[in-house]
Amino acid sequence: MARDGGEEGRGWRCSDAGWLLIGTSSPFRYPLFQLGGPQLRIFRPNFFMLAVRPGVPQPEDTVQFRVSMEMTKVDIKNYLEKIYNVPVAAVRTRIQYGANNKRDHKNRRVKKPDYKVAYVQLGQGKTFQFPNLFPEKEDSETEPFDDFRKFMEKEQESQKGDPRRGGVPDWFGL
Amino acid sequence: MAASRGWRLLWHGRCWFSQDPAAPPPSPAPLYPPIVASHTAKSKAAKRRRLEYFYQQVHEAATIEEKLRLYGKLQRPKYMVYPQTFALNADRWYRSFTKTVFVPGLPPAVPPAAATASEPRALEALEQGVAAAGDAEALQPGAATATEAAAEAEPELDLGALRDLACDALLQESFYQNKKRPFLYRDQDHTPAPFLTQLVSSLAAFLCKRNPLLAASSLDLNPEVNYYWHHGEEVVVHGHRKGRVDPVRFQIDDKPHLQIRVPKQLPEFVPLDSDLGDVPVVDHKPSKLPLFKQQYENKVFIGSKVADPCCYGHTQFHLIPDKLKRQKFIIANLEDQIEVVYRANGIASLFAWTAAQAMYQGFWSEADVTRPFVSQAVVTDGKYFAFFCYQLNTLALTVETIQKNSRKNICWGTDSKLLYDVVEDGSVKGFNDEVLLQLVGFLLNRPKEL
Repeated sequence: MARDGGEEGRGWRCSDAGWLLIGTSSPFRYPLFQLGGPQLRIFRPNFFMLAVRPGVPQPEDTVQFRVSMEMTKVDIKNYLEKIYNVPVAAVRTRIQYGANNKRDHKNRRVKKPDYKVAYVQLGQGKTFQFPNLFPEKEDSETEPFDDFRKFMEKEQESQKGDPRRGGVPDWFGL
Repeated sequence: MAASRGWRLLWHGRCWFSQDPAAPPPSPAPLYPPIVASHTAKSKAAKRRRLEYFYQQVHEAATIEEKLRLYGKLQRPKYMVYPQTFALNADRWYRSFTKTVFVPGLPPAVPPAAATASEPRALEALEQGVAAAGDAEALQPGAATATEAAAEAEPELDLGALRDLACDALLQESFYQNKKRPFLYRDQDHTPAPFLTQLVSSLAAFLCKRNPLLAASSLDLNPEVNYYWHHGEEVVVHGHRKGRVDPVRFQIDDKPHLQIRVPKQLPEFVPLDSDLGDVPVVDHKPSKLPLFKQQYENKVFIGSKVADPCCYGHTQFHLIPDKLKRQKFIIANLEDQIEVVYRANGIASLFAWTAAQAMYQGFWSEADVTRPFVSQAVVTDGKYFAFFCYQLNTLALTVETIQKNSRKNICWGTDSKLLYDVVEDGSVKGFNDEVLLQLVGFLLNRPKEL
């Protein structure tokens, strides 16, 4: 475990879980942990997992995530089981290379970032189907059209001018 | 000259010939070759013609070796199906690849019920300390009808002797022999592997008298069994062949711990066209199992070459490796996958063995089997034993042949049961006789003529 400089407010850096921020006042040290001892430290991982819709159809028990590049299969399993109580049977990961072919206006290559994809197979016979986030509305044709028509009518009325002038434009006069 | 005179006669007198004037004259030999599709064009008809030509060549191959060579000549990336796999719910996927129906329990034709009818009384008698010869006399009048037929021809099954054989083998390997600690992840090679070899070879030798088929059998140690087949279709995703529709290719390369090959085929359990259940249909690509592709030799092998007289399979014995031990699944909270491992192993290994046996007899996907091929397997991890019987009814699994094919392969299987609880102080505690009897029943299985 490495410790960053003597500055206040800096944390201990662990090799796999993330940063642990200690308060800015007196530097508090946890007692050294030995196997079998009480587990006093709480590690709050700084990872995020993003559940995505699979591009290729996956079996019913498989969920696809985009995870941080530093996460391992064990990390993913523990993350889902301990934080979200999701039974995980198996995890497989791969790293997707982001292409470096696009060029900007100065002809410099623009890299799309790499990311890690995790395929998680759920345990205890659970299944998951990625929900349809943008369902189509049935009578979507008529409603906005009515609104649009009303708006256009209002616009035309407001541009007509004073009805007492009988259609004569307003620049005509003394 | 004669021709012109004949021609004039024909012209003048039309009714000269005795032929029926209504019948058309016999057509002369065709002047032009038959109109068929091109052989080399880039068209569907040409592709179909090349495929038909290939089928014709395989049908007309002179020897079985030539047939197998032509069958597996074209090498392309194929899925490697491992019978012993950690993949979740692998048995369901394997059943869909091999068109197999799984029936829990054992088929009605397997004999141990006949043997067990006499065993409970043998147990009681043994506990009272009566000699084995005395048992036979006491039991025969009370034997069930099924055993009477067997008991007439052969003497009683000596359960005591069989149990002694099994316990001797177990104690020798785990208690008497001085072995150092097993190397890391080599626990299965340390004790269960030699125990299984010793048990099977001694049981087979003991039962030779009762089963003449075993006397003519061949016991292979660490044989290799391979089978290559096509099932389903997919579109090629990458590469220079992108966009083409290809059959999905599979290869099983299995290494059972032991197998017994016999010169005569075991009798079928059910008729060829029986329908005992449904085959699961998996819509996803096999790579989601996960299953991986590689390209190498397309091998079809039963454990011996084609010329070997023992070309039919009797029983295989598989040992579960260290990676798939029970304890690991329990720790990982995957208790339901323990049985899946046994089932997947039984289905895949037995399908490969029976299908390879069928190919050795000249059948293949375009020439489907005319009689069922039957084999048995015992899958064990040293302590837990699971028994499987397989009947191969069809080899036609390719896209074209599967449409008209209503036959399904059938696999019967049991759950894994303990053979013994623990070995302590030179004795085996909690020995389960049923498992031993089931094993003996498997070894005694033979065609009815013998």
